[in-house]
Amino acid sequence: MTYRRSAWIAYLLLAPALVCLAVFRLWPIATTLLGSLYSQSIMQAGKDVFVGLNNYTQLFRDPIFWQSLWVTIKLNLVINPLQVFIALLLAIMANQRFRGTGFYRLLFFIPLGVSVPIASILWRIMLDPNSGLANSLINLAGIPSQPFLISKDQALWCIVAIATWKGASFWMIFLWAGLQDIPRQLYEAARIDGAGGISRFFRITFPLLRRPLLFVLITDTAVNFLLFVPMFLLTRGGPSYSTNVLMYEAYKSGFVYGDMGRALALVMVLLVLVIATVAMQFRLFSQEEAN
Amino acid sequence: MKNAIWGVRLPLHLLYIFVGLLFVLPLWWSLTSSLRPLEEIFKYTSPFSLKALFLDRLDFAAYFTIFTERGFGVAVLNSAFVAAMTVLGGLIINGLAGFVFAVFQFPGRQFLFFVTVLSFLVPFEAISIPLYNVIKLFGWIDSYYALIVPGLANGVVIFLFRQFFSQIPRELAEAARMDGAGWLRILWNIYLPLSKPVIISAGLLIFLFQWESFLWPLICTRSENLKVIQVALAGFQQRYTTQWNELFAASNVATVIPLFILLPLQRFYIQGVTAAGFKG
Repeated sequence: MTYRRSAWIAYLLLAPALVCLAVFRLWPIATTLLGSLYSQSIMQAGKDVFVGLNNYTQLFRDPIFWQSLWVTIKLNLVINPLQVFIALLLAIMANQRFRGTGFYRLLFFIPLGVSVPIASILWRIMLDPNSGLANSLINLAGIPSQPFLISKDQALWCIVAIATWKGASFWMIFLWAGLQDIPRQLYEAARIDGAGGISRFFRITFPLLRRPLLFVLITDTAVNFLLFVPMFLLTRGGPSYSTNVLMYEAYKSGFVYGDMGRALALVMVLLVLVIATVAMQFRLFSQEEAN
Repeated sequence: MKNAIWGVRLPLHLLYIFVGLLFVLPLWWSLTSSLRPLEEIFKYTSPFSLKALFLDRLDFAAYFTIFTERGFGVAVLNSAFVAAMTVLGGLIINGLAGFVFAVFQFPGRQFLFFVTVLSFLVPFEAISIPLYNVIKLFGWIDSYYALIVPGLANGVVIFLFRQFFSQIPRELAEAARMDGAGWLRILWNIYLPLSKPVIISAGLLIFLFQWESFLWPLICTRSENLKVIQVALAGFQQRYTTQWNELFAASNVATVIPLFILLPLQRFYIQGVTAAGFKG
């Protein structure tokens, strides 16, 4: 259907959605860029003055910034490959066909209804060093009790575990849908040719799953760079800044210390970081495809 | 025959049960603990006994307390209201936009669609802090507007509708157009009756987005009576740190509500997220 003569109807119907997108998604990005160049005036409360790149130079001189950057990178280097790997294992399990898989699949879906705040609260109680379920279960196996979230060496990895527990089933959905798109005849043919399970995985599953895998990796990366709730609810960035990710530092700067300029500069750094990482993943994967 | 199946499959079933338990056990523990009196919650955990996971009697006191004394009901209603309004408004404006992108030809179509796609590449969390400044200009801080309006337009949902509407044969619309039908009649009589699946999956996406949102409601509201469920839970765990049974009860309520909606409709949800994801 072409409505060339009445294009204005098209614009009219698009307007509510596109105006909202522009105001609530795109404008904030512009204010991030601009706002990070301003700072609150010392002379006059409530007035912002243009300070150029001052917020950024302050940031780059601050050891807490570098610590937060390092924590953010460390977290993401581990959590993204881990979540994609576990999601893939779950997807392969969900894709098997035998009696009972429907029921098991339902169990795998359950964390979808659990929000990140709830997952954090539940696991905080489970990981309680004195009376939590986690310690009593590992004691059964003869392992001594662990400090978990109150240890600066363990807190970040506990958060990785909590976020993975909650997130893996969501990412599984995409990979499972991708697996279902692979024609079963391919596996039959490979089996007749004598290809084993591992060879079938690397020759058939992996190449044909490349698109969903890339999608999951990229989206998951963007989500985890902005992971905030477990730090906010469980560790407050501690102990001794060991879980102080950039997103939490940005939140604190803006809404605890009231330094919006610094908060926006931090968001800007995060945005650049996310975009750079995603672009890198994209290039790596498409290069592989070309080979 | 039956024995043969179980004989071969038994290790496989054990593996699935083990993985399933990893997901279910924390929630099961949360369920049983919420139905115990406070002083009994850690009675069986250290040293661990299986009694920690089973109950001899049910005690609903914690559920009673969170609604009567802790004001948790307000948070549930707030979240339900915010989610319902966002689903309603979001389906209308994103559905219309998807319809336009799928069936209309007009100058700037490619560009506007590109902008839509661009908008959902930036995660909502990333812009929550600058969004605060925008909403402050509108004077909407600490109001339902702040909770609802920024969640209405959603690039993913527009994309979902466009994908779905593009699959409906154009000849249907062309024929109706020949008969003199306007766009509203075409939308109402041809497209809408076919769109049940996309409406359900888009609705679920928007609902879960609002039900689970935390950072944005945390920064854009302050009043007790505007607290949404996730923010109320967080406040709860800070204020009543050791009221374990109530904490469990509150988080169970917050989990069961979306699961009740999600599990029967999981087919639509899966279609929705995967179509929005990589099939486009």
